Amino acid sequence: MEWLKNQFSKELWSPYFAGALLGIVGVLAVALSNTLLGASGGFENLAGILGQAVAPDLFDNLYFNFVMPPEITWQVVLLIGVFFGGLLGALSSKTLKWRFLPEKQWGEIFGTQRWKRWVLAFVGAIILEYGAGIAGGCTSGLAIAGGMLLAPAAFLFMGGMFASGILVALIIYRARY
Amino acid sequence: MINYILALFLGLFFGFLLNKAGLTKYHKIVNVFRFTDLAVLKFMMSGLVVAMIGLYGLRDLGLITFPNIPATYVVGNILGGLIFGAGMALTGY
Repeated sequence: MEWLKNQFSKELWSPYFAGALLGIVGVLAVALSNTLLGASGGFENLAGILGQAVAPDLFDNLYFNFVMPPEITWQVVLLIGVFFGGLLGALSSKTLKWRFLPEKQWGEIFGTQRWKRWVLAFVGAIILEYGAGIAGGCTSGLAIAGGMLLAPAAFLFMGGMFASGILVALIIYRARY
Repeated sequence: MINYILALFLGLFFGFLLNKAGLTKYHKIVNVFRFTDLAVLKFMMSGLVVAMIGLYGLRDLGLITFPNIPATYVVGNILGGLIFGAGMALTGY
């Protein structure tokens, strides 16, 4: 029992173990709700809600009317769960605290100014979400959830993701690669 | 309604596991692209293997049916992946 408690409050689990449990969550999502896990889709639903409130003409198109309907979907609720799940995870290992910058590796490359992180996070996230929109999913929604069903799209996406990710990391880290 | 409650709980587990695997950290995400820390790959691949066995096993037993699988449109999937990967390496999300 004590051992179990210690394992539970560890900051990091073996990624194999956490991954295997994720697989079970993925199976449950299909078995119980007949839906696939996914993260980026929820953001697009939320963007649709915001957009139709602010600029209804601009958002009155095929994509936001049918592909990503502007409503509180299953994916949006999942996102809320993911947020609190991450919070619980951090609480369980007592590592929860406000951070304005990632841990030390970021500082070695970009320095300690906060605005750099915020600008890069904002711009990078736009790029990321845009790519996810084109491909039809993100790491969780397409690569993992699609891969589970052996969807060809998932493996094409993973190839593209790692190819450009490696290239961009190479450019950012250059000599320290 | 029950579906939304399920989504909330599945999300809780999902987020918890992401946190425990360290995938909520900048350096974990970026380092997979530098080949210095493969936690992202280990996490993804073990998840895939378990879920593939589970899903195909349950389907063959006739217990579940598959939802629509993500559409395949080769150029879009690859192009989206390329853009996505660049954003991922920049932000570490």
